[in-house]
Amino acid sequence: MTVAYLMNLAVNGAVEGLLVGLLALAVTLVFGVARFPNASAGDVAMVGAYSGWLLQSAIVSLGPLSLVFAGVTAMASAALVSLALYWLVFRALSGRVGVYALIASIGAAFVLRSVVTFFLGHDQQVFAVPLTRALSIGPLRVLPIDLWVGAIALAAMVCVFVILRMTAMGRRMRAIADNPQLAMVSGIPAARTMSGLWLMAGALSGLAGCLLGLKTVIAPEMGWDLLLPAFAATILGSVGNPLGAVIGGVIIGIAQEVSTPFVGFTYKIAIGFVVMLLVLLVRPEGLFVARARVR
Amino acid sequence: MKNLQMNRRHVLAGLGTTAALATVGLPVKHARAAGSPAMIGALNPVSGAGSAYGSGMQKAIIMAAEEINAAGGAAGQMIEVIGEDTQTSPEAAVNAAKKLVEVNNVGAILGTWSSGVTLAVMPITTAAGVPLMCTSGAPAISTEDKADLVWRFQATNDRFGRAFAKIADREGYKTAATMAFNNASGIGNTEGFKKSWGGEIVGDVVYEPKRPSYRSELQQVMASNPDVIVMGSYLPDTTIILREWFQLGGKNKWIIPGWAANDKLVEALGAEVCEGVISVESVSNESAESYAHFDKGYQAATGSPASSNVYAAMTYDMMIVWGLAMAAAGEGADSAAVNAKLRDVGNPDGAEVYTFADGVEALKSGPINYQGASSRLDFDEYGDVTPDFGMSVIKDGKIERVAVVSI
Amino acid sequence: MEAYLIAIAVYALVYLLMGLGLNLHYGFTGLINFGHVGFFAIGAYASCLLTLAGYPMPLGFALALLLPALAAIPIGYLSLRLRSDYLAIVTLGFSEVVRLAIINEKWLTNGVQGVPGIPDVAQGFGLPVSGSVAALIVLLIANALAIALVYRLTRSPFGRAIQAIRDDEEAVRALGKDPGSFKIRVFMIGASLAGLAGAIYGHYITYITPEQFLPLVTFYVWVAIILGGAGKVSGTIVGTLALMTFLEGSRFLRDLLPGVSEVEMASVRLFVIGLALILLVRFRPSGIMGDWTSGGTQR
Repeated sequence: MTVAYLMNLAVNGAVEGLLVGLLALAVTLVFGVARFPNASAGDVAMVGAYSGWLLQSAIVSLGPLSLVFAGVTAMASAALVSLALYWLVFRALSGRVGVYALIASIGAAFVLRSVVTFFLGHDQQVFAVPLTRALSIGPLRVLPIDLWVGAIALAAMVCVFVILRMTAMGRRMRAIADNPQLAMVSGIPAARTMSGLWLMAGALSGLAGCLLGLKTVIAPEMGWDLLLPAFAATILGSVGNPLGAVIGGVIIGIAQEVSTPFVGFTYKIAIGFVVMLLVLLVRPEGLFVARARVR
Repeated sequence: MKNLQMNRRHVLAGLGTTAALATVGLPVKHARAAGSPAMIGALNPVSGAGSAYGSGMQKAIIMAAEEINAAGGAAGQMIEVIGEDTQTSPEAAVNAAKKLVEVNNVGAILGTWSSGVTLAVMPITTAAGVPLMCTSGAPAISTEDKADLVWRFQATNDRFGRAFAKIADREGYKTAATMAFNNASGIGNTEGFKKSWGGEIVGDVVYEPKRPSYRSELQQVMASNPDVIVMGSYLPDTTIILREWFQLGGKNKWIIPGWAANDKLVEALGAEVCEGVISVESVSNESAESYAHFDKGYQAATGSPASSNVYAAMTYDMMIVWGLAMAAAGEGADSAAVNAKLRDVGNPDGAEVYTFADGVEALKSGPINYQGASSRLDFDEYGDVTPDFGMSVIKDGKIERVAVVSI
Repeated sequence: MEAYLIAIAVYALVYLLMGLGLNLHYGFTGLINFGHVGFFAIGAYASCLLTLAGYPMPLGFALALLLPALAAIPIGYLSLRLRSDYLAIVTLGFSEVVRLAIINEKWLTNGVQGVPGIPDVAQGFGLPVSGSVAALIVLLIANALAIALVYRLTRSPFGRAIQAIRDDEEAVRALGKDPGSFKIRVFMIGASLAGLAGAIYGHYITYITPEQFLPLVTFYVWVAIILGGAGKVSGTIVGTLALMTFLEGSRFLRDLLPGVSEVEMASVRLFVIGLALILLVRFRPSGIMGDWTSGGTQR
């Protein structure tokens, strides 16, 4: 086994991790501000992927441009679904113990998936993408789609960071995350701020779903399957920390893939959890607790 | 918020109503008599891992039942199909099977798909004396079936592996690597291949499904430059693996089971990626009238061609063959008597028939040998079919049969 | 018909036994355990493999009580350090690691092929009845014992201590008691109950594979205890019954609804479960019987 071999594994892991990290970004925002692990994030991503696909199959003649529209559609529809979930379900649960919201979010995930399977069935679907060969960068082989995944995930992270740090909306979100009661009495419009938060989380989920659909296939269980790694990435990188969520995803991804020569391919998922457990033993609040965070 | 909360009494009352409604639905257990319909259980993977096939399988059973009923029923009885979902989970399947056996009083259960589900349901159906027909590949099913009540309409994984080996020889490959989906069927295929192939195995990977990428797995098997990669896989993972392999510039050939290398794969990936992929499946009787007949009906019922779901032809045959066995056993026969007739109507020495109606007609003048849509349907001593295998190559996006391989 | 009702009763009692354990964790102590199926799986494999190796079934049951309790110790220690909402994810990860280990340690568990031919409960205890009836009897006894245990435990000083931890951990600490040792012991007892449930389930179904131990099982147990009312034994019982009524009742509902195929019904069933979860949490979070917050502690 050569160094190049391991480096390629690390690249694979980083890409998978960025994809997971993108969903973790959506999870960590809600977790940090609304204070519960939102299990519907994966299925919101799935809804985004399906709506992007529905649009793209209608306008496939536009070529690569159709993918851009598909991405925008995925983000928009997932954001709307996410907002609807906030108003219909989660708004009434704020202030209750997190486990209730967690259970309601599992329910919301089931509802979304049942609606999609009822109307669109269980068959896999794919985006129409022209396939291109991998690029060679030194000893590394990189798929063009993976460069896109990386660039988009990083861009999304920067956007989230800017919104949280540099806009009035972001400051209000952080204020609510810090102390909801205090934010309320100091006149922060909670419902409007939270709507913004859920829109943002939904758009990120939709983007993650769309990219996952591009890289793999679109199927009803795709988002749910990505959820557990995204949860792990979220708490590894400390809840409420957008940078931490993405880095957490990348760490788990790289650890999983680089471990494969030693533990085999079927154990690698367990490695992700073991890494998470070990880190939490040393740092119970996750890796980046003291750094920039939502709260 | 207080006024929105239901109180305990309301909730309990609601539950009571639900329970009462559920009880109303219980049909009274009745003895089998002419005039009342024969109940058949369709126990298929409608949701869960098998969901890509389950709904088609169930529709095919219903389609076959309608065909039987249109021909006046079997031995004077109409067929009524009760559908259930295994959720591709042994636990859910066991409950569904108990319900079918105990409440619906079915004469047979058709169409369990994954080996795990079949192995879990077998003890229940066998204890009740109800025949079970499956499309599972695990060899253990044959050895566990001591009462000769379990029928398999799919070649065992072991046989598939041997067919792969024959094809690899035929193509003159010297080195091979295997990739298997981590379940009994996936591993069964590649293990069967490894056992019976004389060439050199240079790589061997078992992968967990539902991953966002299989590049690391591919990297390992491609590092050994095999002539061919032999798969034990399903459609979604095969789609992702082949796409990544193409992008990485792979040059080797592929041998893939037919349920994964099908029209949907070509549709998903395009002709260029799939060029030269070898698809192997137990020969549906495409040349037989029964297949054309089934294909037409299936297209009408689902809008997809029969080739899109290889298991649908099998479950269709299950219903038809059971109907023919009922006809052969005569009026008032019980499940055991019908079960005993299955080999008589499916195996050689008899007039070859292709539809239920023809079969019933031919039964009047002597033994019959139903030629199924999924295979010739000849059952061996374990109740397993022994189909030939078709080797197809994908050329310009078309899947073309190039040879038939017998084991 | 009888056998079908027995089958449902067996499932209900298996879930009840698991639910009693989870209720100790969450309802009485406030530990958010989303990896209950991990303990269930350990118990099932422990007892089934031991009896297949020729040892008597009571010994298998003993191991099914012991091993999950041991597995719970490290989880318990982690729970002392972690925020409660982190614990949910960590335990979920734990149950997946257990499942992956079962898949991979083929020498012991036969991997994804599963373990067939497990002796049933009637054989194991030499009872002159069918395997299902024997499982039902053993489950009734096990649940009766477990309910008695939970009652006694929660009324003892130990029980008052864990409920105090649930309500205000800082206050308990201020009184000079260490919440840690209580939490770990609760984790162990609840895990044992899940393990025993797993053992009886394995001997009932006589064939186990890793795919029977997915996180969905944990969710169902959570639904049962939240539905009935967390922190009350009666809540767990009523919640389990309600869950089973719905899961099995929906089969018959489909038979009554002509024109709805099983394919669509699978979606409808998932929809109804999801909607029920949302509505329950939204409008009746304390469950059917009321939880610990709605007065009348301990029952």
